[in-house]
Amino acid sequence: MGDHLLTLLIVIPLLGALLMLAWPHERSSDFRLITLAVMVLEGIVGVLIYLSFDPALSRYQLTEAADWITLPLGTLGTVSIDYALAIDGISLPLVLLAVLVLLVGAISSWTIAQRPRAYFSLYLLLSGSIVGCFLAQDFFLFYLFFEFMLLPMYFLIGLWGGPRREYAAIKFFVYTFFGSLLILIVMIGLYLSVMDPLETARMIGLLEPGVPGSMDAIRQVQQWLVNEQIAPEQIVRTFRFEYLADPANYLPGTLLSPDSTLTLAGVPFRLLAFWLLFVGFAVKLPVVPVHTWLPDAHVEAPTPVSVVLAGILLKVGGYGFIRIVDGFFPAEALHSSVPLAVLGMISIVYGGFNALAQSDLKKMIAFSSVSHMGFVLLGIASFTAEGINGALYQMVSHGLLSAMLFLLAGVLSDRTHNRTIEHYRGLIGPMPRYAVLTGVAFFASLGLPGFSGFVGELFTLMGAFRAEYLPVWVPALSTLGIVLAAAYFLWTFQRMFLGTFWYAQPQDTPLLRDLSARELGLLVPLALLTLLLGLLPGLLFDLTGPTVQAWLSGLR
Amino acid sequence: MLDPSALLALLLLGLPLLAFLVLWSGGRRLNFLAGPAGVLVTAAGLLVCFLYAAPDSIHTFSFDWVSIGTFPLTLTLRFDALTWLMLLLVHFVALLVQIYSTAYLSHERSLYRYFAFLQLFVFSMLGIVLSGGLLLMYIFWELVGLSSYLLIGFWYQRPRAVWAAKKAFVMNRIGDAAFLTGILLLLYTTGSTDFEVLTHSAGSLPPGLLTGIGLCLFGGCVGKSAQFPLSAWLPDAMEGPTPVSALIHAATMVAAGIFLLARIAFLFTPTAQLVVLLVGTFTMLRGALSACRAWDIKRVLAFSTVSQLGLMVLAVGVGSWQVALFHLTTHAFFKAGLFLSAGSVIHAMVPLGSSSPGYDPQDMRTMGGLRQVMPLTFGCFVVCAAALAGLPFFSGFLSKDAIFLQAFAWAAAQGTLAYLIPILALAAAGLTAYYMTRQVWLVFMGEKRYLKYPEVHPHEAPARMGVPMALLALLSLFVWFSFNPLDAASGWFMARLAGPDHHAAWVPWLSVAVTLAGISWGYFRFGKVPYDAPVAEVPPEGTWPPKRYFSWLAEFSEQTQQRVFFLVPFQQVAVLLQRIETRLIDALVNAFGRTTVVLAHVINWIDRHVVDGGVWLITYLVGRAGRLVRLFQNGKIQTYYLTTVLGLFLLLLWLWLL
Repeated sequence: MGDHLLTLLIVIPLLGALLMLAWPHERSSDFRLITLAVMVLEGIVGVLIYLSFDPALSRYQLTEAADWITLPLGTLGTVSIDYALAIDGISLPLVLLAVLVLLVGAISSWTIAQRPRAYFSLYLLLSGSIVGCFLAQDFFLFYLFFEFMLLPMYFLIGLWGGPRREYAAIKFFVYTFFGSLLILIVMIGLYLSVMDPLETARMIGLLEPGVPGSMDAIRQVQQWLVNEQIAPEQIVRTFRFEYLADPANYLPGTLLSPDSTLTLAGVPFRLLAFWLLFVGFAVKLPVVPVHTWLPDAHVEAPTPVSVVLAGILLKVGGYGFIRIVDGFFPAEALHSSVPLAVLGMISIVYGGFNALAQSDLKKMIAFSSVSHMGFVLLGIASFTAEGINGALYQMVSHGLLSAMLFLLAGVLSDRTHNRTIEHYRGLIGPMPRYAVLTGVAFFASLGLPGFSGFVGELFTLMGAFRAEYLPVWVPALSTLGIVLAAAYFLWTFQRMFLGTFWYAQPQDTPLLRDLSARELGLLVPLALLTLLLGLLPGLLFDLTGPTVQAWLSGLR
Repeated sequence: MLDPSALLALLLLGLPLLAFLVLWSGGRRLNFLAGPAGVLVTAAGLLVCFLYAAPDSIHTFSFDWVSIGTFPLTLTLRFDALTWLMLLLVHFVALLVQIYSTAYLSHERSLYRYFAFLQLFVFSMLGIVLSGGLLLMYIFWELVGLSSYLLIGFWYQRPRAVWAAKKAFVMNRIGDAAFLTGILLLLYTTGSTDFEVLTHSAGSLPPGLLTGIGLCLFGGCVGKSAQFPLSAWLPDAMEGPTPVSALIHAATMVAAGIFLLARIAFLFTPTAQLVVLLVGTFTMLRGALSACRAWDIKRVLAFSTVSQLGLMVLAVGVGSWQVALFHLTTHAFFKAGLFLSAGSVIHAMVPLGSSSPGYDPQDMRTMGGLRQVMPLTFGCFVVCAAALAGLPFFSGFLSKDAIFLQAFAWAAAQGTLAYLIPILALAAAGLTAYYMTRQVWLVFMGEKRYLKYPEVHPHEAPARMGVPMALLALLSLFVWFSFNPLDAASGWFMARLAGPDHHAAWVPWLSVAVTLAGISWGYFRFGKVPYDAPVAEVPPEGTWPPKRYFSWLAEFSEQTQQRVFFLVPFQQVAVLLQRIETRLIDALVNAFGRTTVVLAHVINWIDRHVVDGGVWLITYLVGRAGRLVRLFQNGKIQTYYLTTVLGLFLLLLWLWLL
């Protein structure tokens, strides 16, 4: 049991989904209970993983690996796809965040009454796929989970969404599918270029089957590879992250080998592959200008789906940057750090300005997400310990805060189905608790010291200033983002919550009840958590720090 | 075992923070307790400061907040002479203001919130004062911004107050963004923001970079101390309760910028210093000119605060942060005194039991002759006003005089053109004397214009308001700072801060002459305001120069505040980018989607008519051919014979042709 914690984390929700399909139809109120139970179990497994993780070891832990598909292809070598899971300081915070946000989403799905079996089983399918994304150590497996997130998301938006849900769902799907296509192209290219040194050693006979591999054997095989002493049919191709990240495993003369001089229209293939991968994940983060699915998806999605979307789905993009884009193409990433950082800066400023111009509360929050995720890109592009740690921190912080913000927006749309900022004034009158918690969430999001938002912005900016490749004006202009955040959050707060009470549809005024116990129970712990992380950022940095340090030194 | 200085800091910061948490979470139940609790907590803090003050030694206490990689981020607390001065000042003014507030806001329904926020402010302000490095200072700096936001918007039902609160926070944020940039640049170049470390390492930085860093850090001061171009939030901040204006927007918080400059003055290169000087000078003049035009009793004082802060920045600019701090201290007392007295006047002008009278109770044109009904308030106001105007025997004279001395000394070292700066400073002093005379006469002397409003029954302030006012007025006298009424250099303050000593016997006389000229001009203009002077005279409110042209800041308006953001360029860019978003980026995406659909239809057409049509054509042709061939299979022997002969003939023909 203890050896398969990571598998459990993926399997539990999938089993839950299966259970639902078999559950008697007439007991429709059980589905949310099953979901809640599954998510609580996930939480327990998450805590167990956290407890068995040793942050000081800067490598993969709790590794599980098994051969999944092995297919000999003659002179093309052998396809080897593994079921490999592991966790390190980069993925652990995101896994924990995912478990928490999914639990929050499950509780906030309580009021879903329309086709609950379909909704909750899709929700569980989505949960398993998201967690799988962060755990997978095989590119093929990762891609599988990555694609599997799209499908339930598409239906969750398209069936349970707002009035323009079909447009939003198809937009979301096509956008992200386009992104995954680019990833697929590079994945195939990588597959054609990389060998699995251990399996190859076994194939050659250097290692007896069943004997655990050693570094010596790997070195030996890699040496033979360079000397072209291995016959093509003996090479075992792989999708494993750890082998894709090691340049010594690349077959000489292939498209994506690090010493490849092949170019397409003057652009080296590796650089091309880097940018394809980058765009693929940039759609998810999202990075301006491939972000326009996000506001529509958020506006139309039901509250819990928005929470999951902003809280954890976007983070797959940031995770992909660190683990895959930068992990497999470090030289290209370093070489492109200026354009990457500039894109981050543009996202920050562009998202901020657009948030200021919105009149729909959810759209405003969606654009604030674009702006805040820009800090993630900026931090990653800095290639400094502060920047990368800051980016991871910012992802977790934004996960908590955006979950809070979308829950808060959901409170209003649940009650009146009207999220237009100008239609409300002085909500603090009828809904004082709601106003106070919104104020807390807004101030935390605009980077008030004491809350987590400040730390994320501080460290990503610090990393960007420290980065040797980046000109100073990039982070300096990015600080405009913190001015804009104050502007759009406080202007919204002033207009909707302060002043004398007024609502554009006076007949609906009785609907404006203050927060229920369930809503308070969701929001207050989240607020306390961002406060805790803001005061003691070490809680998170201690997890990520050693891994990021090792990752950085491996990069150069 | 904790360091004693750490323990002390913990005590000083912990008390107000605890008070804030308890009061805020306690809700209305704690209304009865809020005032006394706030007063007690601050009094305890003041007592601790008095007991443990050790201004002659420097204690620091550091702790690692978080460490990333090999780089620990250290936060430092620092006790030195400057800290102790500010600790005493903040505690003292906060104490008086809270005593005053217990009476001033006694009818308030959310008293707990008021005192909770005040305690939060005290906590944050003490944090700034205790910070031994810029990063920690920035953290408290933002928290001060928060408490200022909460207190300006204390009456959250008033649209104008909440508008002003947001304006203050956002404009401060602009300065803070620059401040943060400076801090991060310092961290990047020197690896530390600790003042102690910086004194050693800053010298090794290239001057161009150091100038840039200095100017970025100065940005923080521009925001918080309301310097040009970020000064517009301060007059609007007067929407908050008057005691708040006294404590935060006159005596302490706005002085944080000057405190920051005092801490980092050693970082300024000559270029940076020149910029600081010019910004300070311009702010000083603009504030003074605006004060001459305002009619709202609090806004006059607010503009005057802007102007005085400009004067302090000017003092830093001429290289003497010590005299700037001196003026900060004297200004804290007399400006707080002025605001509390003004609050007493407003308190008297607001009719009991009515929250919205048919006139503006803060408009000085509705006042006049109040000295007879409010003698104590009158006395306090005049004493503090005299200190502000810079009359001899009052504290303001000493500190202003010290600044003039420094400015003249600086000008003498710089050359002829530089004399413009002290001359402009003197001119601003003359304006100060003018607008304070104007205010005193409009409010307290002349005709009793308030008699026009039968609901007004002016009354003297109760003791809990009167005592703080009187104490602050007393502290505006010269004796507390120097026994020589005309020279501060011999006083304890300057001696302790050990600023550079300059002396010129003619400067005090010159400044006295300018002040007297200002007073005479003020009396000449406003000595005889008639009983039926129009109230809505144009311009009713204002900054100087009057707004007739485009401004980057939108004024408050009841009608447009839901649609118009106060930073005009921000909103313009936002609208522009939103258009780009919907009409370009998203339109492209949609066009791409539509093209795909159209293309799909085209392909569908081709598929049905060309590809499928081809298939159909082939089957049709095959069918036709089959039918054709079937004609030959008709079972008649003649036809078969004919076919065979024809075939044979063709075969022979082919062979022959070969």
